Amino acid sequence: MSARRVVVYWTAFSVILALLIVAPLVLPEFWRRFLTEILIWGLLAMSSDILIGYAGMVSFGHSAFFGLGMYGAAAALLLVKPPDLWLAILYGLIAAAGVAAFVAYFATRLRDIYFAITTLIFSQIFYVIIFTWTEVTGGENGLTFGRPALAIPGLFSVPFTSETLHWFVLAVVTASYLALRRITQSPFGMVLQSIRENEARTRAIGYPIERYKIAAVMLSGLFAGLAGVLYAIQNRFAAPDFVFFLISGEVVIFNVIGGIGTLVGPIVGAAFFLLLREGFSRFFTEYYLIPVGLIFIAMVIFMPQGLLGFMRRWLNQ
Amino acid sequence: MGIPLEQLLQAIPFEQLLIQTVNGIVTGMILALVASGLTLIFGIMDVVNFAHGELFMLGAYVGVITLAATGNFWVALVVATLTIALLGAAIHVTTLRPLLGRDPLTTILATFGISLVLQNYALWQFGPVARKIQEPFTGHFTLFYLDYPWYRLVIALLSAAIIGALWLFLKFGTYGIWIRATTQDRVMAQAMGIPVPSVLTVVFAIGAGMAAASGVLFGPLVGVNHAMGLDWVLKAFIVVVVGGMGNLGGSIAASIFIGLMESYASLWVSPAQAVIFSFVVLILTLLFRPTGLFVPTPK
Amino acid sequence: MTLGNASTDPLVKVEDIHTYYGKSHTLHGVSLEVGRGEVVGLLGRNGVGKSTTLKAIMGIVRPSQGEVLFEGRPITHLPTHRLARLGIGYVPEDRRIFRLLTVMENLRTGLDRRGVTDARKKQLLEKVYDYFPVLAERRNQAGGTLSGGEQQMLAIARAMMLEPKIILLDEPTEGLMPRMVSQIRQIIDVLHHEGAAILLVEQNVPLTLEASQRIYIMEKGVVRHHAVASKLRVSDAVIHQYLGV
Repeated sequence: MSARRVVVYWTAFSVILALLIVAPLVLPEFWRRFLTEILIWGLLAMSSDILIGYAGMVSFGHSAFFGLGMYGAAAALLLVKPPDLWLAILYGLIAAAGVAAFVAYFATRLRDIYFAITTLIFSQIFYVIIFTWTEVTGGENGLTFGRPALAIPGLFSVPFTSETLHWFVLAVVTASYLALRRITQSPFGMVLQSIRENEARTRAIGYPIERYKIAAVMLSGLFAGLAGVLYAIQNRFAAPDFVFFLISGEVVIFNVIGGIGTLVGPIVGAAFFLLLREGFSRFFTEYYLIPVGLIFIAMVIFMPQGLLGFMRRWLNQ
Repeated sequence: MGIPLEQLLQAIPFEQLLIQTVNGIVTGMILALVASGLTLIFGIMDVVNFAHGELFMLGAYVGVITLAATGNFWVALVVATLTIALLGAAIHVTTLRPLLGRDPLTTILATFGISLVLQNYALWQFGPVARKIQEPFTGHFTLFYLDYPWYRLVIALLSAAIIGALWLFLKFGTYGIWIRATTQDRVMAQAMGIPVPSVLTVVFAIGAGMAAASGVLFGPLVGVNHAMGLDWVLKAFIVVVVGGMGNLGGSIAASIFIGLMESYASLWVSPAQAVIFSFVVLILTLLFRPTGLFVPTPK
Repeated sequence: MTLGNASTDPLVKVEDIHTYYGKSHTLHGVSLEVGRGEVVGLLGRNGVGKSTTLKAIMGIVRPSQGEVLFEGRPITHLPTHRLARLGIGYVPEDRRIFRLLTVMENLRTGLDRRGVTDARKKQLLEKVYDYFPVLAERRNQAGGTLSGGEQQMLAIARAMMLEPKIILLDEPTEGLMPRMVSQIRQIIDVLHHEGAAILLVEQNVPLTLEASQRIYIMEKGVVRHHAVASKLRVSDAVIHQYLGV
């Protein structure tokens, strides 16, 4: 990156971050919540971008990682008294990592559509297990629990308000973004991109690409699980609907709409999708997916580089 | 594992095993009808059609409407097949043709979008309450202690007949030869004057029509609702992969295999959990024989 | 220049076409003409753009600049299958037989067209089986099981099913035994006598000089030399210069 672009990038980053920090102070309650939710879905979409945009593997199974993050957090919050925020995150990450290891081990041996179908089927396996194992997971109704306090042990402990929750989510998402950005620019990220461009050549150069792919799926699954934990904390429930593959499909939609391989794009895509849903559901009620689906199809055909890519081209003209 | 196998088997009467066999073959044949459309589309066009289940579902709805208007099940079957074939052609021309030559993954995305639109359209048009298709005849015959409906056997036979007709069409018809030539070498097919874009549209339309036909045939057994396509498309995907992508014979064998397996599995676990068995079969197939279980080992 | 027909337009006219493969510029303004019923040879070393020229005529590669005219009509933007129906037959370098289709089915890909009566179909098939008796013997065998020479015959026979006004022949003798080569040579003459034009891309210089009326020689994506075939000898300096034989 040229020095000028670095300055522009960090300026834009700081401005947007500042706006997101101030936002809950000026927004009404509904939109404050909405913004927090965009950040959480954005994190999920960003985690999937590691696979779609960088390694060229389209995952249709991110709902499993997200959902297991939710149920992991639920386990911590229901079983450990008093409920502890950090323990919820830890449990959620462990659950997501377990699933991710399982999926990564099997699915990474396959490529392209086979990878997509396998991840989809894996997420459905977890869906069926969670849906039918009523004694443990609450089955169709899911689990409800209380929100833990925002605490740093030994320092302070305060109950979450919607503002502090927003800031907490913002901090986690921002840290995740910076970490993922760092990772994608590291040698590891470069190898992933080279796998996407030409797998055979990357293998021929001597990279153990299976190991790289497994690491990529694990990494992606961990951040997806983190998003699941945040969602569980925000909404105080875990439900099998969030493991169902339609959620995975929506995540792919966020990526395509926003622009894959950009990390920021998927967040933009999630925001755009949720705004569309909000806007259309006023006119179309629960059938908002009809216009949203049509817009998505049009974007797949006419704007394959996504909103971000489109804006970038438009700015460069 | 606390219970030995013999004890498990003893707990299941022999008649019940036979009944489950018949059930498994019947569902397997319907599944074969759904999956052969999907495998045709995949094998020939490299398109993973996520909207296949929705075409199945819409076919069933068109069947419901036509049946209400005409009172004749067979008219409903034909009308639904043709209507959805036309819809399939329209979908292909508007959304898939522009994606020709792009990464096959983009077709998954586009058809996923189509499936969302169609599913919610059905919910909007027809509401969440399941509709019923009255079977064309209600006779039974005695299968051990059960009154087994003739209709179920007829569906299996009809599915076999439709698949057989497809096979004859592909084998001997001019269009069938065009379709096979297109599968093997698109560019050369065009150089021989075969209108490849129209061939692809026709293939998609045939696949859609077959999905619709299975929707109408299966409607009387399960009831028609907007989400009925989801289960089927997943199962059909499993069949297509297990049977070997684009391999018609393999898809049929795999359909019956999956049908039987889930049928037997539901002797021990709930049908919702029986699905997991098919999932596991799929994953094992992909890992150990990614070209499909029911195809000869490639040289 | 000899034109086989009184009509003023040549059958195929290629005007200054440029093509790109990815970022590499493969044709740098190729121009040539083929008259009705004329056999024209296109010579040049490997990779100078001969095959690409044929593909550009057939619409398989789209020129970014320039025009291809068929009987005076621009055809550059027509889809390939329309060109085949207009009367351009294509026999590609690697033959591209439909390997899983039988010989008969391979032929039917070109034969089952609108406007061809059953009697005409029979006639065409008989003619082809007459030229290539081996194809008649193997009519129900899968194309992929034929030998290289048989596949080449099938590729030519298949193109003949279109009753083409011109056949684009890409290295028909490549990798064939001498006996097969002379058979291909005869077929070119037969097609010529029947009135079909041929644009022949070949590495076999003597055969090309014998079979053709005119010759174009290409180098690095352009036509460098154009001559009447009867005035060229294998030993000529131009042949040495561009073909290095």
